Amino acid sequence: MLYLVFTVYPLLRTFYNSLFVLPTVDVEQFVGLENFRLIFTSDSVIWPAVRHTLSWSVCSAFLEIPIAFLLALALYARVPGERVFRLAWFAPMLLSYVVVGPIWQWIYNYDWGPIDVALRFVGLGGVARPWLGNLSTALPALIVVTTWMFVGFNMVVFLAALHSLPGDVIEAAYIDGAGWWRTVGSIMVPLVWPTAAALTVLCVIGKMKQFALVYVMTQGGPLWSTETVATYVIKRAFQWKTVDLGYPSALATLWFLATLAATLLLGLLFQRRAQPESLT
Amino acid sequence: MIPVSRPARYAIAGCLAVFTLLWTAPVLWMGMLSLRASDEFYKSPYGLPVPAHWDKFRIAWVEFGYQTYFRNSLIVSITAVLLLIAVGSMAAYFFARYKFPFKEPLYMMIFAAILLPPQVPILALFQMLVRYHLYNTLTGLILVYAASGLPVTLFLLRAFFAQIPLEIEEAARIEGATDWRMYWQVMFPIARPAVVAVVIINLVEFWNEFLYAVVLINQQASRTLPLGIMFFMGDREQDVGMIATGLVITILPVFVLYAMFSERITQSLVAGALGSS
Repeated sequence: MLYLVFTVYPLLRTFYNSLFVLPTVDVEQFVGLENFRLIFTSDSVIWPAVRHTLSWSVCSAFLEIPIAFLLALALYARVPGERVFRLAWFAPMLLSYVVVGPIWQWIYNYDWGPIDVALRFVGLGGVARPWLGNLSTALPALIVVTTWMFVGFNMVVFLAALHSLPGDVIEAAYIDGAGWWRTVGSIMVPLVWPTAAALTVLCVIGKMKQFALVYVMTQGGPLWSTETVATYVIKRAFQWKTVDLGYPSALATLWFLATLAATLLLGLLFQRRAQPESLT
Repeated sequence: MIPVSRPARYAIAGCLAVFTLLWTAPVLWMGMLSLRASDEFYKSPYGLPVPAHWDKFRIAWVEFGYQTYFRNSLIVSITAVLLLIAVGSMAAYFFARYKFPFKEPLYMMIFAAILLPPQVPILALFQMLVRYHLYNTLTGLILVYAASGLPVTLFLLRAFFAQIPLEIEEAARIEGATDWRMYWQVMFPIARPAVVAVVIINLVEFWNEFLYAVVLINQQASRTLPLGIMFFMGDREQDVGMIATGLVITILPVFVLYAMFSERITQSLVAGALGSS
């Protein structure tokens, strides 16, 4: 079979991609599990990095998905200009992180960035700050950026889900006097719950991989305050003076397992929550 | 559909319009900056681009190397997509129609790679490419991109091939077509809508890709656009006007395509992302 040749080649590559990670643990020297031991005992960066990555995943899920749902709901009401809105909101997703990074660096600029200028204009000059240079605001600032990028995407998915709902059920509920909010809250939200679940999983996985935005905007700084596991692995491998692929490989391996576990866990969680509703 | 009164609809639209303006403001601002010189910018950051310095695009293109970066990005994304479609579509067809040992485990393994954070393979890839002298070459980057796009491609195309009725192939076979001819002259054309979606997903992805590029490319001549911007910013951080020009050069092709095929692109990207969940 001719296809076999063409199939085996990419298969092998993917093999490489997925399985042959461990052999890089010290090409010359075999150190066993030493790298893993070091991660757990004497690495002061990795735990904050894990914490940042997790809070990023969770916060974005809580921001992106409700905002996207509200926007989808607004468009679902057959608003004039629906198409323009939809396309405009979706557009940021098409931008490279390397394009988004500089734009938002300017937005967060202390001297002339629009946020601080606006704050001074309304007399809140005291709140103005270099958002990315501040230990406590740098990470939230980055989370806002990814929210900006992906709300449109989530909205499009929600909108499609809403349009595929049985319109007569919703109408019946409304006519029976359920009212706007109750119709939305007790009928539409449960019906799009599976969609929300899928989007949450997607969002969390996406944020756990997040590298480019951090790398472009803050390089993990100031003082590790935006370091994520994804950036730490790469910096450790290619920017630190120590030429060693082993240690970062050990990190990456653990991180892969963590991602996998998180995905499975979320999957289970949502399945369990979805079941009772599907029974009613 | 819940009935919403006409005035209410217009009120919602009004709110959304304001929201949309805020939402797109960063991009519009960047567009204006791309036509203004940096000294003008520091005098009034929010001024209109009057007079418009269209010349800046020529300067960025010729003097700051964007010509090279653009060409590299174009070569890498298009070649990688072509390679991916050639290999991936046949593999998808193979997975959809043929029986062979370890089919499902193999498929699951490729599919699981969607979950894989790219940081994991990249360390090994770096080592591999250095060993085979593909480090710092566009060829290396193309191969890596093509491989990285495989899982999504396989997933979407396999699903599409699987739903094409078998009779078509039987008819082609009776006509005496070989496997090869049947694939390229019968099946591939039928799968065109799915192929277009896959091309879009991967083209956007490769055009914007940064992580693989920054690790695997380390010389000026091979830089793609995202790398070019990164290094330009490193050199001239204060030159906001010129950085914006570079950003616009980078996003222009994507936005032109988006303006032309917006629905197509939206649908494809959504299908691609959901396919991987």
